Amino acid sequence: MTRLLTKPLKAFAIYALIILLVSIPVYVLVVDYIWVNELDENNWLTIQHTKQRLQVHDLTADEIERINRLWGELQPGLSIEKAETKIAPADSFYEITRPNFYDAEDDADRFRGLRTYVMLNGETYWLIIETNVEEWDETFIAIAVVTLIFFTILILGFVILNRRITAKTWKPFYQTLQSLQSFELSKNQKLLLPSTDILEFQEMNKSLEQLLKNNMDTYEQQKSFTENASHELQTPIALLKSKLDILLQHKDISPEISEILAGIEPALSRLSRINKNLLVLAKVENRQYSENKPLGVQEYILSAQSLFEDYINDKELDVTLAIQANFKIMANPFLLETLIYNLFSNAIRHTPVSGQIHIELKGQTLSFSNSGKAALDITQLFKRFSSTSKDRVSSGLGLAIIKEVALKYNWSIEYYFRNDLHTFSVRF
Amino acid sequence: MKILVIEDEKELAQDMVKYLSNEQYLCEWVSEYRIALEKINTYEYDCILLDLMLPGGDGLSLLEELKNSNKQDGVIIISAKNSIEEKVKGLKLGADDYLAKPFHQAELAARIESLIRRKQFDSNNLIVHNELSIEIHAKTVSVHNKQVNLTKKEYDLLLFFMGNKNRVLSKGALAEHLSGDFADMFDNHDFVYAHVKNLKRKLREKNYGDYIKTIYGTGYKWEA
Repeated sequence: MTRLLTKPLKAFAIYALIILLVSIPVYVLVVDYIWVNELDENNWLTIQHTKQRLQVHDLTADEIERINRLWGELQPGLSIEKAETKIAPADSFYEITRPNFYDAEDDADRFRGLRTYVMLNGETYWLIIETNVEEWDETFIAIAVVTLIFFTILILGFVILNRRITAKTWKPFYQTLQSLQSFELSKNQKLLLPSTDILEFQEMNKSLEQLLKNNMDTYEQQKSFTENASHELQTPIALLKSKLDILLQHKDISPEISEILAGIEPALSRLSRINKNLLVLAKVENRQYSENKPLGVQEYILSAQSLFEDYINDKELDVTLAIQANFKIMANPFLLETLIYNLFSNAIRHTPVSGQIHIELKGQTLSFSNSGKAALDITQLFKRFSSTSKDRVSSGLGLAIIKEVALKYNWSIEYYFRNDLHTFSVRF
Repeated sequence: MKILVIEDEKELAQDMVKYLSNEQYLCEWVSEYRIALEKINTYEYDCILLDLMLPGGDGLSLLEELKNSNKQDGVIIISAKNSIEEKVKGLKLGADDYLAKPFHQAELAARIESLIRRKQFDSNNLIVHNELSIEIHAKTVSVHNKQVNLTKKEYDLLLFFMGNKNRVLSKGALAEHLSGDFADMFDNHDFVYAHVKNLKRKLREKNYGDYIKTIYGTGYKWEA
């Protein structure tokens, strides 16, 4: 993933690189053209001057010979030689590359030359001037290096500017993003979006606030609906239970009716559990268990173990504990109890007869492992009423409650299946 | 013994009265705060069953009233809320017990029996039923003056039966009594059979009157 502002930066950088790369040969051409032009002009001026001076002095052939020798010693760029031809051809500019005596490092130097003809004493002479000119490749390297240095500076500038722009202009955007990331519908918090003078951000924030407000209202309604519904259901459930108790006392109940009555009780008890669990879920979501105290986790595990002893023995389960004593955690007693009892009863219910349950409390992690055959569908596991097994009694809410309690305290819940063991672990 | 049922849900109150009323208990029922207050101030009850959400007032203030007038009536709160905070608050205000709705009538009867027993200062903490006697403080049981060694669960079951003589007790009610509120997390309460079987065997070994009867399909009954 790329960040929003690195994308244009990348494009800018690539564009700048292309332009600068293209500019190198162009610069080289231009610089070389200027060089050559300027040198040609210079050569021409020098040679004009020399020509004129030579013509002013009435020089003999010997004197010309001496001048040429002197030039050869003092100023090797200039030379005068007798030409074989009588007619004076036009001036000619030329370029030559040859080794330079003084410049040993370079194998060859480039020279720009001008050859002209001068008539002295009726004789035609070649007047030649050659001036050293920077080679192509050297100009190219110099320009390339300078360009790349500037490219680097440019990119650095882009990055710094980009950061500045990010920090300033995009600040409200990132603030909004951050508040959205930390926002949780279930936490009943207010979403604080930054005020901004940028129109688009303002509109985005406004829309977000509206969207969230609608969501929160719906969520609130749903929460209070759940709580109200389960409150309302409690009385009829209590009545059914009580009526059933009264009915059982009747003297003349036939075996058939008795069997029917026996079938009502588990269903009623399941109904009651579902309702209780819904209420607990609603209350956790409504932040009703706010009072926390330091609680010994070990005690809750041991009390659950003794409470569930009969169910453990009935299924002949092998329960092993590896629990560090004196581990305390800040939580609401009811919620910790609910969490541990649900994890424990879950393990008991889902372990086959004569299976194993291993409970471990180590470091900050409490884990319940129990024998099983195949891994459960982790995507469905913690959802409400999503049964991952055909267990009849499960209220379908046990794991949802576990998750909700963990969420409340920012504990992390993990499930994995390893070595034929289902493991649920809570990291406090 | 006089019991006052303060409960605004008529059907539920009638069931309680029906279940509890026998030669031992006399039940009265009120559904409103004001009348309840009158009754409490005028009469003395061995046990008051108090619903906290009442039309016309809060059940907890009735408790305060009782406490302020130094009444010795035993109080069991029966509440639909089932919250620890409420329970602690109620017990602090002087309630003797707290039972969350929905409950089994048998559980209520056993709690009342236990409460009344505790309130009787003159009693020698002995429950006697023909040849059977239970020493509450020492938690010992004897038949024909011969001690019977019971496990804690068997002992609890026996007390539960004692509080519900001649009543049919369902397996669910027995399981809930033994495992508490969390019994409904499980669907299989077969362990109840094992405990009752053991209890019967141990009592039979000492020649008790074979009072525990199995009621086909539903549960058990202590026939006195």
